[in-house]
Amino acid sequence: MKRARIFHKGAVTWAALVDNDRALRLPSGEILALTQAHWLAPVTPGATIFALGLNYADHVKELGFKTKEPPLVFLKGPNTLTGHLGETVRPADGNQMHPECELVAIVGKPARHVSAAEAMNHVGGYTVACDYAIREYLENYYRPNLAVKNRDATTPLGPWVVDAAEIADPQKLRLRTMVNGKMVQEGSTADMVLDIAGIIAYLSETMTLLPGDMIMTGTPPGIHFCSPGDQVVCEIEEVGRLVNTLVAETGP
Amino acid sequence: MAMIAGTIYGVVLNDREQHRRLAAAFLEPPYKAPPQKPVLYIKSRNCLTTSGGEVMLSPDLTQVEAAATLGLLIGRDAHRVTMETALAHVAGACLALDITEPHDSYYRPSVRQRCRDGFLPLGGLADFTPALLDGDIETRVNDIAVHSWSPRRLVRDAARLMADISVFMTLAAGDLLLIGLPFDAPRIAAGDHVAVCAGRLPHLSARFRAEIAA
Repeated sequence: MKRARIFHKGAVTWAALVDNDRALRLPSGEILALTQAHWLAPVTPGATIFALGLNYADHVKELGFKTKEPPLVFLKGPNTLTGHLGETVRPADGNQMHPECELVAIVGKPARHVSAAEAMNHVGGYTVACDYAIREYLENYYRPNLAVKNRDATTPLGPWVVDAAEIADPQKLRLRTMVNGKMVQEGSTADMVLDIAGIIAYLSETMTLLPGDMIMTGTPPGIHFCSPGDQVVCEIEEVGRLVNTLVAETGP
Repeated sequence: MAMIAGTIYGVVLNDREQHRRLAAAFLEPPYKAPPQKPVLYIKSRNCLTTSGGEVMLSPDLTQVEAAATLGLLIGRDAHRVTMETALAHVAGACLALDITEPHDSYYRPSVRQRCRDGFLPLGGLADFTPALLDGDIETRVNDIAVHSWSPRRLVRDAARLMADISVFMTLAAGDLLLIGLPFDAPRIAAGDHVAVCAGRLPHLSARFRAEIAA
């Protein structure tokens, strides 16, 4: 099943995709055409948002880093999220703002001291994230610092969550980013340095992962600096196609 | 723990004395320049625990650092607030004991150093009064006073911190902002009992225990 979180008639609700992903069925039974949906980021409120840095070998090379051991994990706040077909501000001085397409694994069951062999039983579903970074704002303290990775609405997420059971092999999915129709990022989840099972095992050694927690698993190579007005599409096969538009900053 | 529904943000390197001591190191690699913006971190929800409880230390940790600080509960979304208006967005305050695995590098720390289960005991919430920012925060370990500091030591005081953070991100209603950590926070081991008090805020305490290997 695919489930979306939408705003509908004054309330936030989860809705199931039906009719070959052409419509949404609300809990009331009401059917809504996709074109009528007001998409929200498909997140369980309160969820911890983990993100992996430098988790695709080629992307690491491209940025001039050595692969990190242990893995580089950072956290993000829910202020960063925005839904499918949303807008993200491209700051006037953010000339090095680039999209990062990421597969997001969503925790389905509590996990603590879970081995890599058992880890995938704790994944409930998957979605797509476009995690923008703005390289001008990087500082060499607590990298990647929050001014780069925790700005409001700079992480489009969605359009929906696909149940884990429907993805045969999450480590064999093509992912790509298109900006105004031109491909700027391409890769396969097969190239992750630490796979999803390994990430869950690592995190759960010291932290309890709770249902709804999200793990953004890193991004493949391809750095393309964006401008206001750009349409940015992050696409992962079998999971979804997430569309976002960059807009210019307006005055206070 | 349902007490804090939002995100918990904290700030390191906000202690004037620490800045004085690290001034030369800030110019060396990997930093190469002093920090320009507040150096922020997030404490994930698995860290939350209430006062009076136990903090379990896993076998790989012989000691942790336990920094007592104030948490400001945001009552209204703060976005691009000024120093003059910032504190009007604060709805409450509590004591917090921010526990970390000791680490010297501020470059790219691992999330597990700061965010293990139980690594943020919080005291009860009370009204926020500006006098709290002027008072002392005292830590006792095994009933002996071992540490005292004051938010007067902050590089950025609470109002300036909220102004400088809310330039690039919203501090949302329900979020908790930990205003800074003393660089000389006490080291704690399994078996220790830690108690924190500041002004009229509800006291905070935590007992540290060794976790039996799973």
